[in-house]
Amino acid sequence: MTKLDHLKEITESKKPFIIYKSNKGFDLFTNFSKKIILTNKNIKNFINNVSKNKSKRKDTDLFIGFFGYEILNNLIGVKIKKQKAIKFPKGIFYKPEKKIKLSTRLNYKPIESIRFNKNFKVNLNQDSYSNIFNKFKKKIKSGETYQIKICTKYKNATQIDALDFFCRLTKTNIAPEAFMIKDKNYSIISCSPENLITKKKNFITTKPIAGTLKKTNKLNKAKALAFFKKNIKETKEHNMIVDMERSDLSKICKSGSVKIIKKKTVEEYKDLYHYVSLIGGKLKEKVSSLDIIKAMMPGGSVIGCPKISTLNLLNTQEKEGRNIYTGSFGYINFNGDMRFNIIIRSILNYQNYSEISVASGVVIDSNAKHEFNENYIKAKALMDLYK
Amino acid sequence: MIYIIDHKDSFTHNVVHQFENFDDVYCDNFNDIKQSKLNKAKVVVFSPGPGSPKDYPNSSKIYKELKGKKKIIGICLGFQQILYCERGKIVQQNKIYHGYQSKVKVTGNNSLFKKNQKFTVGRYHSLKLQEPFAAKNFEITMRCDISHTAMAIENNIDKIYGFQFHPESFLTENGNLLIKKILSA
Repeated sequence: MTKLDHLKEITESKKPFIIYKSNKGFDLFTNFSKKIILTNKNIKNFINNVSKNKSKRKDTDLFIGFFGYEILNNLIGVKIKKQKAIKFPKGIFYKPEKKIKLSTRLNYKPIESIRFNKNFKVNLNQDSYSNIFNKFKKKIKSGETYQIKICTKYKNATQIDALDFFCRLTKTNIAPEAFMIKDKNYSIISCSPENLITKKKNFITTKPIAGTLKKTNKLNKAKALAFFKKNIKETKEHNMIVDMERSDLSKICKSGSVKIIKKKTVEEYKDLYHYVSLIGGKLKEKVSSLDIIKAMMPGGSVIGCPKISTLNLLNTQEKEGRNIYTGSFGYINFNGDMRFNIIIRSILNYQNYSEISVASGVVIDSNAKHEFNENYIKAKALMDLYK
Repeated sequence: MIYIIDHKDSFTHNVVHQFENFDDVYCDNFNDIKQSKLNKAKVVVFSPGPGSPKDYPNSSKIYKELKGKKKIIGICLGFQQILYCERGKIVQQNKIYHGYQSKVKVTGNNSLFKKNQKFTVGRYHSLKLQEPFAAKNFEITMRCDISHTAMAIENNIDKIYGFQFHPESFLTENGNLLIKKILSA
């Protein structure tokens, strides 16, 4: 069977499914025998029970799904005040019974054509963005945060064909942590570039991104690296994230084992360059899956630093729930191995509403107008799919 | 045993790993002090953290109780906490250093470190010590090579030490050496 058939078949079957970027192509997960909707009450048991078996016999011996932002805050004791919410689940995990390997090129023709609404509304205009921005700058000056990411949200009312969106997205941008979920009442499409946790046996790595540069004809990888190295603002932001991730790993790793494996390298994507580091360590004995998730999530690079006080600042400021944005998607194997990304560059479609959240960092030398536009550019890549 | 008081910072566990090179370490939140463990500790470390020393009255109380009885080390906010308890003024800087690598120079005459020696260090601080500062037995022993901001203090009578920069940061070269020296002092 060709890959075309798999995608056609899965669409026609109308079964829920998940596609996740693998090393060589994509993995398709379906035939879900269990679906667990997470709550603040059941999440701890869920995480602890998944990896109780200690052995993984089949390649479907895993739970795959996502943790939303709010449930991750709750897990580490950070409270969020009442926000405007769309009652979307705080997290959902599935037990697949079938896994199919797909190649990198996903080909799919929509069965029926849907007319998309391409007009998006942003929840913060530039003035209110600037207000928040200036408020946070004062907090940086007084030392309550060193770096903080303001989230803006673009929304519209429309139906979408999630698989069509995902295929078009991956044609132009093959992100290493791309994924999509299609279930009966919602879908998620993401071209996340950022891996938060890769855990195999007792070794764990995280790969924070801090620093983005748009590609031009004049640039190449070496010039991009030179740009990042020379740019003091990008360098400082990146340094902060590296030290924060080292510290998060140090909570669960053996003393002296946390190392920067790749320090400040450039990765090339279709439209942009990212400034990336890879940090890893050997896990302590008796560290549970829950310990790992609590130490690493929500991923620091998309929150700011220091994590707890910055989360508190964000949560008093943000009037609307983040839902999946800056949560994590991935899987936990029955043997305790896991892989999770950070959910960014994503579309959540729920009850025929699409939302795209984006954020960019405020450090002491950021400029409000620049960051507001940066957010728009990030969102535009996804809004362009609605054509 | 070394007791590290965590001010809920995102760098504290780097500090923990660094001190674990030299001794057993116990680390807990500033608002959840384990008194029996604290009593047993030979060294107490005040961690980095957000905000300013006045936000942590409990840490100030512990400092005042333990001064002269145990070796005390402060890092970043912890450094400022010590100075604040010694009637130093902690103020906002014009230029803010977050994720910044700079050179500091040993300027103290009675320092454990060689005078005029330079270190490359990582900095994360909005606030600094306003000078003049004077407290009995305390000496400012390192300064930023460019701005001359106070970067380290030593009190070799009461065994109190502090760094405004972060010896545990990957931006600091020879950070372990700095810690080793004050632990063996």
